[in-house]
Amino acid sequence: MDRSIAVWVGAALALVVLIALPLGWLAYLSVSGEHGATLGHYREAFADPALQKALWNTVVLAFWTGLVSVAIGAPLAWLTARTDVPARGLIRGLVLASFVTPPFLGAFAWVMLAGPNAGILNTLWRSVTGAEEPLLNIFTMPGLVFVVAIYTFPYVYIMVANTLALIASDLEEAAAILGAGRLAVARTVTLPMVLPALASGFILAVLQALALFGSPAILALPAGFHTVTTQIWSLFQFPPKVEQAAAFSIPLLLATALLLQVQKRLLGRRGYAAVGGKGGQRRTIPLGPWRWPALAACLLVMSAAIFLPYGVLAKGAFVRAWAQPLSRDNLTLGNFAFTFFEYGSTRAAIVNTLELAVLTACVGAAMVALLSYVTNRRLVVGHQLVAFLVLAPVVVPGVVLAVGLFIAYTRPPFVLYGTLWILFLAYLTKEMPVGYAQADATFRAIPADLEDAGRVLGAGRLRILREITAPLAKSGIIAAWCFIFIGVIRELSASILLFTPSTKVMSVVIFDLKEEGQFGAISVLGLVMLALTFATVALVQAALGRDVLGARR
Amino acid sequence: MPGVILKALTKRYGDVGAVDGLSLEIKPGELLALLGPSGCGKTTTLRLVAGFLAPEAGEIWVGDRCLSTPTSVVPPERRRMAMIFQSYALWPHMTVAQNVAYGLRFKPGLSRGDREARVREMLRVVQLAGYEARYPGELSGGQQQRVAVARALVVEPEILLLDEPLSNLDANLREEMRFEIRRLHETFGITTLYVTHDQAEAMVISDRIAVLQAGRVAQAGTADDLYHRPRTRFVAEFIGRTNVVEGVAASRDTVTRGTVRLRVASGELEPGARVVLSIRPHQLRLGAPGDATDATNALRGTVRRTAFLGDTVDYEIAIAGSDLVLRAAAPPTPRFEIGAAVGVRIDPAGCVPLADGD
Repeated sequence: MDRSIAVWVGAALALVVLIALPLGWLAYLSVSGEHGATLGHYREAFADPALQKALWNTVVLAFWTGLVSVAIGAPLAWLTARTDVPARGLIRGLVLASFVTPPFLGAFAWVMLAGPNAGILNTLWRSVTGAEEPLLNIFTMPGLVFVVAIYTFPYVYIMVANTLALIASDLEEAAAILGAGRLAVARTVTLPMVLPALASGFILAVLQALALFGSPAILALPAGFHTVTTQIWSLFQFPPKVEQAAAFSIPLLLATALLLQVQKRLLGRRGYAAVGGKGGQRRTIPLGPWRWPALAACLLVMSAAIFLPYGVLAKGAFVRAWAQPLSRDNLTLGNFAFTFFEYGSTRAAIVNTLELAVLTACVGAAMVALLSYVTNRRLVVGHQLVAFLVLAPVVVPGVVLAVGLFIAYTRPPFVLYGTLWILFLAYLTKEMPVGYAQADATFRAIPADLEDAGRVLGAGRLRILREITAPLAKSGIIAAWCFIFIGVIRELSASILLFTPSTKVMSVVIFDLKEEGQFGAISVLGLVMLALTFATVALVQAALGRDVLGARR
Repeated sequence: MPGVILKALTKRYGDVGAVDGLSLEIKPGELLALLGPSGCGKTTTLRLVAGFLAPEAGEIWVGDRCLSTPTSVVPPERRRMAMIFQSYALWPHMTVAQNVAYGLRFKPGLSRGDREARVREMLRVVQLAGYEARYPGELSGGQQQRVAVARALVVEPEILLLDEPLSNLDANLREEMRFEIRRLHETFGITTLYVTHDQAEAMVISDRIAVLQAGRVAQAGTADDLYHRPRTRFVAEFIGRTNVVEGVAASRDTVTRGTVRLRVASGELEPGARVVLSIRPHQLRLGAPGDATDATNALRGTVRRTAFLGDTVDYEIAIAGSDLVLRAAAPPTPRFEIGAAVGVRIDPAGCVPLADGD
């Protein structure tokens, strides 16, 4: 019993510091005025036409992002999970690449590709057709939806592909033998079984779009409109209106919590995961003459998400003028020299980012390993509550978390603002659910029998942890470490509110460089960030022996 | 070789008493099967004996050592037991040899050479010589089972615990492993507690069987005892098939139900009391309807259903002049067709009054 008290006190303290304090302050400040409790900040925030507009823009962005993500993700999932479309492994790999690409990098790349004046695709269009008007303008709502969706559809893809992989062909064949044609089978069996996954993928995509800061800041602000996240950010610019920002954060928080609840309901209602079982084979559907057109469609999506953006970033890194053609004169390594040696804050930012990423990943992995072991083996009373609290930050968008942390840690007893520690807390809180989910799955896959078997033969609890549990859990915990690490190096939406000149991180510097129009340096830093990300992904795949999207081996 | 004594053990999960005042003695060197349907508390009992669970009441003794009381439980690693799990629980990151050798690390005074020799010898006994360097994932289900057996036996435990060890094997292999486990028990003579829900398995493997019902021992005895002298309806129905006949004692050795009168061999009934009899299907002898109608326990009836099972024919017979429907297992000849009238005779020794008719 004494041991469980220590665990409880530790977990409770951590959760207070990470969640209760920031969110408590957030809620408190949003209703506190000079003369006691007030709803004035809410009234001010929601009566302001500009803020109303931002709210509406967010709804439009989130809804359309969800829809477009389903339109891209679901067919792609079906094609790779069930048909004989060529190069399925490659397509999966590209979806994974899109999943881990920081969305704000994609947004920068698309500014270079489809900016109305200098955008490479528009230049090309003008030179081919002789037209005056640009073909594409990325600084519009449809442009924003497009750029957000090409990095959000993997959420739909993952949900649908993993569900399709669980549905045995038997179930479809059982319908066919009773007289259902191909379309009828799809309509009456396959689609209804995939529907919860589809809806839940839609909700996840919507949530991403709601919480996103980078892409709207890069594309919507120049276009002259705000979303909730950019609006909260601008409320923080001088002179900061923290109370209004707090009041504006609460609805975003509630909307997220509500949508996640709906998603949980959708997935939990029927035992879809139980389908399959013995003899549950999945046969591939031959596409016949449609094989190659289907592949072409997949590659078209991938060129929008990967090939073109990565290409333009690579070009931007190695040329003097990114809008000019590739020629010997235009090539240079000057961007690298500028980025790493001349531009003031870059090196410090890279060091800060790596320090924070390693520290957060180590502390986070240790915490989720401990907590998921405790909850899985039910070592303490009330382990369900621990699991609930660890997963709770999922409902807190980065910007909202940042507002809460800002309020909580700019005043006594804990003044952390201006140090790296406030960023550390933000990252640890934000990445905790992802790491926990991974660690939880790891321990779930290690039956308690394996530990009991050692106990009976004479090994003590600690020895079992060292000799049986740790070796079996190692790769899963390494994966949790990597997920946290990737999450930290790409984090922008919380960092942008919490950094100070001495605590900049890479994503913030990239954002600064945008203000100065330094696309060469942005490209260089973007490539560094992508290289770090993919190196870490490779590490995860090696550790888990499977790909990150959750396919069978 | 010590025995095991369980004294009035109780363990609850929430409001549900998984084990509820269970008392049982396993004699030294004996193989005792804990038999019961799922949820009867047999696995909980085993985990109490292993020390994974602490009892809320009662005690567990091995020889003269008291291992579990509600206030103090000797941890599993200091109980000198071994356990074979339903899932085998082989460690996937260790080879067969490493799995088997694991428990020997905790035996003081064994040199490396001794350990290797013991592992080799044990693998030979379970017919897995040459598999030392394989990983569990590379073995078939039956081979994994043998590794689990070897890992448990190599440490020469005082007590061996088995938790439904055969339930993951296919039917043929299961039959083979039953005899294998029995053979190993006869070789090593370790006091053994064997949990199963399969009555045939319990009957083949064990010296004695304890039938568990709702967290208590309903009856413990040899397979023969339980089959021929079940004390309760639950035991009678759980061990083999039976006909349960409710009636009233007309005298010390006669039970009536409507016009049907049955003589009972035991002759200790209390006249006028309600009696429940268990009659095994093979105790019913079928003949022509006119045969010796005045003999003891001679009834007449009509065949309602038949099923040919090879060695025997399974009949369902409606007894004339009553609502009784009895099952009979009779030799293939003579055959009776559906609708045929038959004479039925029942040996009084085959009519067993049950102490607990509910």
